[in-house]
Amino acid sequence: MMTEDRFAALAEAYGGDIARWPAEVRADAEAFTAMHAEAAAVLERERGLDAALDADVAGAPGALLRQRVIDSAPAALSAGRIWRWLTGAGLGLGLAAACACGVAAGMTLAPPSVTRMISGPPAESSDELTALIDPATDPEGA
Amino acid sequence: MTAGEGDPDEELVLRAGQGDPAAVQALVARKLRRVLALAERVLGDAGDAEDVAQETFIKVWRHAAAWRPGAARFDTWLHRVTLNLCYDRLRRRRERPTAETPDLPDPGPGPDRGLEAEDVGRRVRLAMLDLPLRQREAIVLCHYQELGNIEAAQVMGVSVEALESLLSRGRRALRGALTDLKE
Repeated sequence: MMTEDRFAALAEAYGGDIARWPAEVRADAEAFTAMHAEAAAVLERERGLDAALDADVAGAPGALLRQRVIDSAPAALSAGRIWRWLTGAGLGLGLAAACACGVAAGMTLAPPSVTRMISGPPAESSDELTALIDPATDPEGA
Repeated sequence: MTAGEGDPDEELVLRAGQGDPAAVQALVARKLRRVLALAERVLGDAGDAEDVAQETFIKVWRHAAAWRPGAARFDTWLHRVTLNLCYDRLRRRRERPTAETPDLPDPGPGPDRGLEAEDVGRRVRLAMLDLPLRQREAIVLCHYQELGNIEAAQVMGVSVEALESLLSRGRRALRGALTDLKE
């Protein structure tokens, strides 16, 4: 049974919208409001405070925070994480491929003597290699 | 509480616990905003609130794999975890007396302008931060987080009667602090 005091106490605790009151008292509160004119004034006063409270809107989480939270899930390979892993792996593969191309181009374009330094001298040219290392033995005389 | 009737988050939590990436994304989309808003309103500091939100979800991932249907509702548990982490932050603040108060602009109305909604919001946020912690929690849980009275009382570890008392005292104090907003 809803009384005037109980109605006022509920309004003061839960605000001016009966829909937000505890489920078990809502029907009684609606009936009380229909029968007591002063109940409307009580609700109106509380609605003013509800509206002020609603003016304080919480910020939405930023994309960075959302991603950090998703990434903190240990077993979950999120799409973002997979993409970052793939792009990281792709960068690594790209660098490795670029290094390999560089070495190949160097081998192709460098003078034969340098190529032999890199790839190792054939047995019959050991004298030429020695000359490169030690000018004093240059057969043409430095 | 049975699985079907009680907890709308249960299936998602279980799937996230099994490492389902779509469930992880969906759970974050559904809950991060709530967790962040709760922490921000209790702590009054956006940076601390973000830290608490991250720590909360680390606990979520840790517990999701072993989540037992039929126990407490996930959302209730989530609020409890978030509040506990907020308490840790507040305790640390008290231990560091030099810590600055939240950096919010002066919310007082200028002499020649009315209060815009944003100004009202700032006023309310400051008035909320002036409330005793338990009164603030009660209002945040019931008004902003829209928990039912039984659920909010559970989260706070008090009886429904005690929750109502905290709500009434908190709202009365707010009404007193915001009297000039009526004009």
